Amino acid sequence: MLVEFELIQKAQAGDGAAFNQVVVAYRKRILGTIARLIGRPEDVEDVAQEVFLRLYYSLDQLRTPEVFEPWLYRLTVNASYDYLRKQRRRNEARMSDLSEQQVMMADAAAGGKVSHEEKRLKQVKDLVEALLGSVSEQDRILLTLKEVEGLSLKELEKIYGVNENALKVRLFRARQRVLNAFEAAQKSVGPKPVERKG
Amino acid sequence: MEHPDNDSHNRELDALFAEYKAALPDPEPTSNFMPYLWRRIEARQNLLFRMKRLTQFFVAAAAAICILFATMMSVPNRPESNGSYVDVLARAYPAENLASHGILLDEADTK
Repeated sequence: MLVEFELIQKAQAGDGAAFNQVVVAYRKRILGTIARLIGRPEDVEDVAQEVFLRLYYSLDQLRTPEVFEPWLYRLTVNASYDYLRKQRRRNEARMSDLSEQQVMMADAAAGGKVSHEEKRLKQVKDLVEALLGSVSEQDRILLTLKEVEGLSLKELEKIYGVNENALKVRLFRARQRVLNAFEAAQKSVGPKPVERKG
Repeated sequence: MEHPDNDSHNRELDALFAEYKAALPDPEPTSNFMPYLWRRIEARQNLLFRMKRLTQFFVAAAAAICILFATMMSVPNRPESNGSYVDVLARAYPAENLASHGILLDEADTK
């Protein structure tokens, strides 16, 4: 826990200063998680504010301060899921307005302005984004929390409120789908996109 | 047992996820983060307050309409409207008034 239980209880009682301290303690971690869940840096703060807004209005429903962190993660997961769902609808509409040539030109223009390292990181980011695009929004979030954020099955169990076996099955299927997409991407590209270190 | 190719792809995928995390480190919040958050909280509070007021208004209006209808239903009907059409006509045109028009009623009719 990044804050004392008493602080959460004060925030629950309507203490604005205590709520502020809770937000300040958790915002960086939540911003990071959201950044990796949604993959769009420009919208991260907006989604994080939505998380803390939901936290503010549902804090009184929290029974025990011990479950605060899994609960905050659940709010983060829900807000990210809502964002991804809206984003997909928006993207479908936007991409249908552009011709294939326009999309390629926009990609080329974006690629020309960055350094080599930035370009490599962008490739990694784009590849992972594309791979995660092969599964549903829910599975994308679950897989990111497990594989990228490094949350344990026990922690995921608390966040999702389902048993470990059900999570294992869902994670296995999602990972298999991503793995298949990864293999297909490697076959089509040829050289391996990941530079192994050490 | 897993296929060796599959195993190597699994390891590469793990490495890719690790690189993804490194490519997207925890961002620093901007200076506007807290002011905008409080602005959104206050905006939601105002919206909830307005919705509460609107709900109270509708509940009060519905209650007033109910009371009005209940009052209208409970007021007894006027006695004039009681009886048949012929009775109402007989009350409106008594026999003595009809005599001035030259209409004479039999004794049997007046009873």
